Amino acid sequence: MKHREKWKRVDGPARIFVLILSLVVWNEIMDGKKTVFLILLLILAIFPPFVLSQYWLHVMIISLFYVMMASSWNLLAGFTGQVSFAHAAFSGVGAYLSGMLAVFLGLSPWLGIAAGTLGAAILGLGLGFLCIRMGGIYLSLTTLGFSEILRIVITNEDHWTRGTMGLQIPGLFAAYSKTSYYFAFLFFAVMMLVFIYWLIRSEWGVTFRAVLNDEIAASASGINTIRVRILAFTLTSAMAGLAGGLYGHYLMLITPDIPSLGQMFLVLAMAVIGGMGSFAGPIIGSFILEFLSEYIRTWGEYHVLLYGLIALAMARFAPEGIMGLWANKRRNP
Amino acid sequence: MYVTNGIVIGVINAISAIGVSLIVGIMKVVNFAHGELYIFAGYFSYHLSISLGLHPLLAMPLSVFLVFVIGLVMEKTLIRPTYGDDMYSLIITFVLSIVLQNAALLIFGPYPNKPPSLVTGATNILGFFHYGNQRLVSFFISLGILFFIFYLIKKTWFGKSIRAVSQDREMSGLMGVDHYRINMLSFGLGAALAGAAGVILAPIFPVTPSSSSAVSLTAFVVVVLGGMGSLKGCIVGGLVLGIIENLGAAYISTMYRHIFAFVILILVLVFRPWGLYGQKT
Amino acid sequence: MSVLIEGKNLSKSFGGLTAVKEVDFHLSEGEIVGLIGPNGAGKTTLFNLITGIFPPDTGTLSFRGESLLERKPFEICRLGIGRTFQIVRPFLKMTCLENVLVGIIGRGEKGQGKGEKHEEAREILQVIGLAAHEQRLSKDLTLIEKKRLEMARALATKPRVILLDEVLAGLNPSEIQQALELIERIRSQFRITLFWIEHVMGAIMKASDRVVVLDQGRKIKEGKPQDVVTDPGVIEAYLGEENA
Repeated sequence: MKHREKWKRVDGPARIFVLILSLVVWNEIMDGKKTVFLILLLILAIFPPFVLSQYWLHVMIISLFYVMMASSWNLLAGFTGQVSFAHAAFSGVGAYLSGMLAVFLGLSPWLGIAAGTLGAAILGLGLGFLCIRMGGIYLSLTTLGFSEILRIVITNEDHWTRGTMGLQIPGLFAAYSKTSYYFAFLFFAVMMLVFIYWLIRSEWGVTFRAVLNDEIAASASGINTIRVRILAFTLTSAMAGLAGGLYGHYLMLITPDIPSLGQMFLVLAMAVIGGMGSFAGPIIGSFILEFLSEYIRTWGEYHVLLYGLIALAMARFAPEGIMGLWANKRRNP
Repeated sequence: MYVTNGIVIGVINAISAIGVSLIVGIMKVVNFAHGELYIFAGYFSYHLSISLGLHPLLAMPLSVFLVFVIGLVMEKTLIRPTYGDDMYSLIITFVLSIVLQNAALLIFGPYPNKPPSLVTGATNILGFFHYGNQRLVSFFISLGILFFIFYLIKKTWFGKSIRAVSQDREMSGLMGVDHYRINMLSFGLGAALAGAAGVILAPIFPVTPSSSSAVSLTAFVVVVLGGMGSLKGCIVGGLVLGIIENLGAAYISTMYRHIFAFVILILVLVFRPWGLYGQKT
Repeated sequence: MSVLIEGKNLSKSFGGLTAVKEVDFHLSEGEIVGLIGPNGAGKTTLFNLITGIFPPDTGTLSFRGESLLERKPFEICRLGIGRTFQIVRPFLKMTCLENVLVGIIGRGEKGQGKGEKHEEAREILQVIGLAAHEQRLSKDLTLIEKKRLEMARALATKPRVILLDEVLAGLNPSEIQQALELIERIRSQFRITLFWIEHVMGAIMKASDRVVVLDQGRKIKEGKPQDVVTDPGVIEAYLGEENA
């Protein structure tokens, strides 16, 4: 079925869903009653499997994957100032480790995902240690190199990974059901977001942002900046690994596209356009960009170029993204 | 022969790396779009020669000039506002690289473009083996460019300004150096060097939209290996990497050619992060 | 009076440039010691050596008998050495309260709840006179307010010594007066020893117990303010700068 037709098929239920969502968001902006808004949102989150078509439910699931990726990347880059390009690579580690354990050792996908998360964390720790001595530029370069090398290795070791043909791996549930996947992704995404929110509001959040603002002043004030950076790097790599593991077992076919710079770019764009350094920014960015890309696909694979241009414009003129623009509007109506 | 290949590629790597090093040294900005500038120059060279029928000797410098201008524009519109903010300059050049990569795909298509060679045939090197003439010519052109760069940096006023700004931005500002202009020109020069490497290598290794990441990675590793901000380091680093990659590809594995670059990167970061000639901070 | 910080034979070069050469100094408890010298004399470099930003090429540095060499900046802070910076650098995108909070968190002490830390931060802001700006982002403050905030942040780390780097730069006379009063209050109320780089001669001569003079990396004079100010060598060093 062509994309254009799929979009038209969204009609009734999905449009109502989107409408309600926007109303609730608007309400939150007006009243600032965060808890009510959150409860409403959570209740609303139950609806998609029952009102959306299988196709749009799929898009929701993919969006949740990106929410996890963008939020964790934002925690690293937007809160500690470390611009890592290895985030997609770590999700690839999660996906491939988990997938291959399932295929070659018959390990249950749930355990595999745990293993994948741990594997990503360990690699993250190692990579973090490597980069810690020199400045942020080195971190970015090394993570870039790591990402590309991982992709090359996965592509070439096709005896194990089936390379670009893709490796078929088992799903999370014995009986395939998008609804089950939706709730699984929703659960993990919410858990991750709760954790991130708690972290941001805690002393760690203040510490992270001190390192972001001025590392030298932070260490002159007694902050062990090295420990902070490595902790953030390891934690967020683990999150990417988790997201990747889930993603892999959802798609049930994993390819070297997962740990690619193209994916990395999408994650980055979602965080930047949504709003780096804020909590809700990456969430908003993920949903908007993912849903929009489905629409744009009707004309061709132009969404990457478009998002790149928007991201450039944002980084240049509105570094705090959509959330920043929104906040400014509230301050100066 | 592999060593020769290594040397030739190494010298070209050096040019490419200097392009990155310059920008990093002056502006503390890593130009992630480096590889894309390289391929754009290759594409320009191809189209100027094939589509417009210009002689390669004309097409090549013209392409480099075009890329130089693109570099100037990039600096003025995108990079300049991010001064003092490392994080955003990294993000912007990364996004730029993706945008340019996709633009290349859109504008030039996915198929490899190979600009015409300047010369053909092969020469007998000291009676040991035959070596492609085009590669030899590339080598000498690169050497020429290197000498030119050295002259520029060491002897001319422009070069001195660059060195002054990279060492102490504030002081040089007080001494009357217009660092906005220097930055813009440096960025343009860096871009031009990427472009130069592109037009030199494109007749040997055709350009495709996806070949840009390898180019960037190679340049970055050379810069780290040689030491950020060191010209000498770029040359030595470029040669070392070129030789190792070629030997490795020949004797160990062709598919993992770029792994060597990454392994070198890791080793440098673990044992000597400031590179061969860099400064310990 | 016990010696808090002692530096012997400290030297540091960058590339070919010698920033600090064979400098001895000491800081005793309760003192205000001024550190003066023409531009480029190595004063801030000395501060950077003390706070562990880079290691000296030669020499020893100790704090209350313990060596400071091989220690990271955050460890040195936790030992009890705080500092402010020549070009003021508060955490710009964070509120005043959060700025001070960082200093409190940086102490690395256990047993203090989040609420208690916030309370303490508020008290410190009160003492410094920035209580009204608690929720303002520090980038929105005036210069003197930023300097006060830096001081508050340093105070929050409960230091024994604070290294002040040109705190009076860029202030007008009435602001200088305010700053001096604040510094005197810090010294007496919190009993903090001060090592103070300054170019505003009048202020530092009036406030210091002792003055150390650096020129081109070397210590050329040390003594009471009135002795230093009349010393021909010191005058020459500064005149030399004027004619340069």
